[in-house]
Amino acid sequence: MTTSTVQGSPVKALIVEDTPIHAFILSTILRKFHCEITVAENGNEAVQLFLEGKKFDIIFCDKEMPVMSGPEAIEKIRALGESHVKIVGVSAGYDLEQSFMSAGADIFLPKPMKFDVVGPIIQEVMNKKNNSMV
Amino acid sequence: MDYSNLRRQAASMKKGLFDQGHLDEQFRQVEDLQDEASPNFVEEVAVLFFKDSGRLISNLEQALEKYPRDFNRWDAYMQQLKGSCSSIGASRMKSECMSFKDNCGKGNVEGCMGCLQKLKREHAILRQKLESYFQLLRQAGPTGAATRPVM
Repeated sequence: MTTSTVQGSPVKALIVEDTPIHAFILSTILRKFHCEITVAENGNEAVQLFLEGKKFDIIFCDKEMPVMSGPEAIEKIRALGESHVKIVGVSAGYDLEQSFMSAGADIFLPKPMKFDVVGPIIQEVMNKKNNSMV
Repeated sequence: MDYSNLRRQAASMKKGLFDQGHLDEQFRQVEDLQDEASPNFVEEVAVLFFKDSGRLISNLEQALEKYPRDFNRWDAYMQQLKGSCSSIGASRMKSECMSFKDNCGKGNVEGCMGCLQKLKREHAILRQKLESYFQLLRQAGPTGAATRPVM
């Protein structure tokens, strides 16, 4: 899939990541799919955004972060009733998948992320978003 | 100026980085993200990487001097550094990170110290080689006068 096939209103993406290089690379990938991007540096910042009433279509969430880990943040976000937001757990090590999925993530992507897997995920989110607006 | 020769030199330099094991396939993935909208993306990623990894190495050096030995903290720092190395494809650095973590797991202080020294050497070598590579790219580029981010 190419970035030119992505249509509709922009996907609102939240990146929850404390490592600048990871956040920068993922932001660049998502920008190619015309996403609106917000970056939170830890799980607590991510939860605060939802408490402030911000809405996102997709969250890319790291696991180990200061203040609050990814799985803990995901649990709290789901507990706020945010059942529709697509949550992607991202971390090194396949053995970490279970902690994300148990917390309520929809997908797990191991690091380093293969960039060509992001496009189909964004397209799926966009399709769902545009179908719900019809 | 012979730009095609400079580009050949840059290509050869990059091939050397892969052949010598300094970089792996992930670096090519990063390169694939560079386009007209982000013409210096790869170099920007490299600058971020060396800033971040330098900080983590410094944190680790300080942690290694403290008592009692906190292998969990050392491992946490190294896990972060390993993640950064993976993102840019810094293969030899990543290997040293993994060796350090192994030594952490065994409680081997001397092993950890040795790995850290090797890691610092690989960090310095990769930084020098990538700086030279990007400098050549800038000279070989269409304008030949791109601004130089501070690494």
